[in-house]
Amino acid sequence: MTKMLEAKGLTKVYHMGAEQVHALRGVSFTVESREYIAIMGPSGSGKSTLLHIVGCLDRPTSGELAIEDRDVRKATDNELAEIRNRKIGFVFQTFNLLPKATALENVELPLIYAGVRRRERRERAAAVLERVGLADRMGHRPSELSGGQRQRVAIARAIVTEPAFILADEPTGSLDTATGAQILDLFAELNSEGNTILLITHDEAVAARAQRVIRLLDGRIVSDTGGSEVRA
Amino acid sequence: MNLGETIRSAVWSLQSSKLRSFLSMLGIIIGVAAVVGIVSIGLGAQTSVLDMVSALGSNLIMISPAPTLGRGGSVSADPRDVFTVQLAQHMQERSPGIKLVVPLVQGSGLLIYGGSNLRSTVVGTTPAYTEVTNYKVRAGRFLHDLDLEHQTQVMVLGSRVAERLFGQANPVGEQITYVVGDRRYSFTVVGVMESKGQVLMGNYDNQVYIPLTLAMERILRTKTVSTLMAQAASAEAASEAVQQAEFLLYSRLGTADGFNVTSQDEMLETMGDVAFTLQLMLGAIGGISLVVGGIGVMNIMLVSVSERTREIGTRKALGAKQRDLLLQFIVEALVLSTSGGAIGLLVGTAVAEGVSRFGGWPTKIQVSALALAFGFSALVGLVAGVYPAMRAARLDPVVALSYE
Ligand SMILES: Nc1ncnc2c1ncn2[C@@H]1O[C@H](COP(=O)(O)OP(=O)(O)O)[C@@H](O)[C@H]1O
Ligand SMILES: [Mg+2]
Repeated sequence: MTKMLEAKGLTKVYHMGAEQVHALRGVSFTVESREYIAIMGPSGSGKSTLLHIVGCLDRPTSGELAIEDRDVRKATDNELAEIRNRKIGFVFQTFNLLPKATALENVELPLIYAGVRRRERRERAAAVLERVGLADRMGHRPSELSGGQRQRVAIARAIVTEPAFILADEPTGSLDTATGAQILDLFAELNSEGNTILLITHDEAVAARAQRVIRLLDGRIVSDTGGSEVRA
Repeated sequence: MNLGETIRSAVWSLQSSKLRSFLSMLGIIIGVAAVVGIVSIGLGAQTSVLDMVSALGSNLIMISPAPTLGRGGSVSADPRDVFTVQLAQHMQERSPGIKLVVPLVQGSGLLIYGGSNLRSTVVGTTPAYTEVTNYKVRAGRFLHDLDLEHQTQVMVLGSRVAERLFGQANPVGEQITYVVGDRRYSFTVVGVMESKGQVLMGNYDNQVYIPLTLAMERILRTKTVSTLMAQAASAEAASEAVQQAEFLLYSRLGTADGFNVTSQDEMLETMGDVAFTLQLMLGAIGGISLVVGGIGVMNIMLVSVSERTREIGTRKALGAKQRDLLLQFIVEALVLSTSGGAIGLLVGTAVAEGVSRFGGWPTKIQVSALALAFGFSALVGLVAGVYPAMRAARLDPVVALSYE
C-alpha cells in the first residue's frame, strides 16, 4: 500500500485576542491508500481543524504534512488550491452546494477549476451523478432535492476529480438515520471501489462502519485502532 | 479557469437574480442614456446653430451701432447718426478688404392682399443684398438699381409671406397694400425668394424687401440705416475687412465703443464655444450620474460578496485560486456595467431619436460619443468591481465555509 498522507506533530493555535486556543496539540498519523478512517471525538476536540489542515484549506501552526510524499508546508496558496482541486474531495455536513446551480453544474464546478473542457466536464459529471444514483435528477437545483439527494450531489462533486482521498466532515450530521445509513452505504461502496476516505463523526454507529477509528480529545490523538498496524 | 468560462459563469450568475441585476444596472443605464441623449441633442443644436450662421451669407460682416450711455452729464454723440448710406458707399470704396456693403433699414407693418393680411418685417435694401446673403430668387426678380433710383413701389416677398398671402398662386404682378400707422402704400410684387429657413437672427422667409431709398425717404422717413451688411473680398480677407470697417467707424466717431463689427467666422466661433461649453457641462452631469451608477454597482457587488461568502468558501475548497475569484467578481461587475451601458446606449439613442422626431429638435448621434459613454461604463464597472473582488479573493476559506 502507498502512503497517501503523513502528518507529524501537527499543532494549531488560534489567537482570540490575548487568549490562545490550542485546537491541535501535536497530531501524528499516516493514511495508506484505500483506507476508510473515522475520526471521532467530542465537540471542540479539534476534528474539523484537523480535517481542514489535512485538506489544505488551512495551514498548521507547526508540524509536518506530506500528501502523496509531497511536503505541503512550503506550498504557496495557489499550489494549495491546486492540491485541493486535484487530490482532495470535500464533503460537508451542510452540503455547500451552489443554490442556483443544477446538480450537474454543481458537480462540474471542480472540473472547471481543473481546466477540463466543457464537453468532457458534462460527460464526467453526468457519469458520477449516475454512479451516486441521481441519473434522473441532474437538472434539479438543490432546493428541489431531498437532504440525502443533496449529499449525494456533494459526494459526486467530491469524487468527480478522482481525488487521492475524500474528506467528509459529519456527512450524515444533518440527515435522518435512514438517509444517513444510505449515505454511509455509498461511502462503503466508494471505499471498496478503491477510494481513500477520512470521515469525521461523533456517532459510534457511523464510526463502526470504518476500518480504522482515530479518537481525538483536546487536540490530541487518544487512540487509533483498526488500521493495518498497531498505532495507538 | 479561462476567460470565456468566467464570462459565461458571470452571465449565468447575474441571470439567476435578474431583478437585482437589473436594479443595480439602472444607475449605469440612466447614466449612459443621459450622456448619449444629452450629447446628441447638444451636438444637434450646435450643428443647427452653426448652419444658421452659415446660412446668413458668405464672408459676411455685420456692422451695427451700439448706443452707449452718456457719461456723467456730458452728452455723447449718438453713434446711430453716422450709419448712413454715404458711410456704406464710403466703406465699400475705401476698404480693399471689403467687396460690398449693403445698408438695411427695417420696419414692420401690415400686408394686405385680397381678404388676407399678415404682419411682416419690411426690409429696405439694395440689389446687392442677395449676393451678400446668398439669397436666391425663385420667381420674378429682386430689386434693381432703377427701383432705388426712382423709388418705385415694388416689393419682393420672402417664401413664407408669399405662401401665406397667395397660397399656391403666383404673386408676381399682384398688388399688395402695405399699412403702416395710418398710411397706406400700394406695392407691385415683382419677385418671390426661395426658402432659406431659419438663420441666426430671424427668418428671411418671413420678410419682404423694398427699395432702400423708398423705405428711408417715404415710409420710415429716416436718414440713417439700422445695419450694414458687408461682404469681405474673400474668406482670407475677412479679418482685414473687419479692421478696415472698424477703423473707418473709429475715425468717424472718435471712439471704439459705439459700434459692433462681427464677422461670420467670429459668430461661428462664439456659437461653437457656447455650444461646446454647454455640451461639456451636460456631458459632465451625465458622467456624474455614471459615477453614481458605478457606486450602485460597487454596492451590489459588496452585498453579493458577503451574501455568497459560503459559495466563495466552497469554490476555494474545490480548487478555485485567488485570481479565479478575483476574475469572477470583476467580470461580474463588468458584465453588469457593460450590459447596463449597452441598454443605456439603446435608450439614449431612442430618446435622441424621439426628441428629434416628435419634439422637432435637431439631434446628432455621434459614434465617438457612444463609444465614450460605453467605454466609461466599462471603466466604472472595472473600478467598482476591483475592491469587492479583492475582498472575495482574500477570504480565508475556512472562515468563509463556516459563515452563517
Ligand atoms: N477560527 C477559530 N478561531 C478560534 N478558535 C477556533 C476556530 N476554529 C476552531 N476553534 C476552536 O478550536 C477548537 C477545535 O475546534 P473544531 O476543530 O471545530 O472542533 P470539532 O470539529 O471537533 O468540534 C475549539 O475549541 C474551537 O472553539
Ligand atoms: Mg466540527
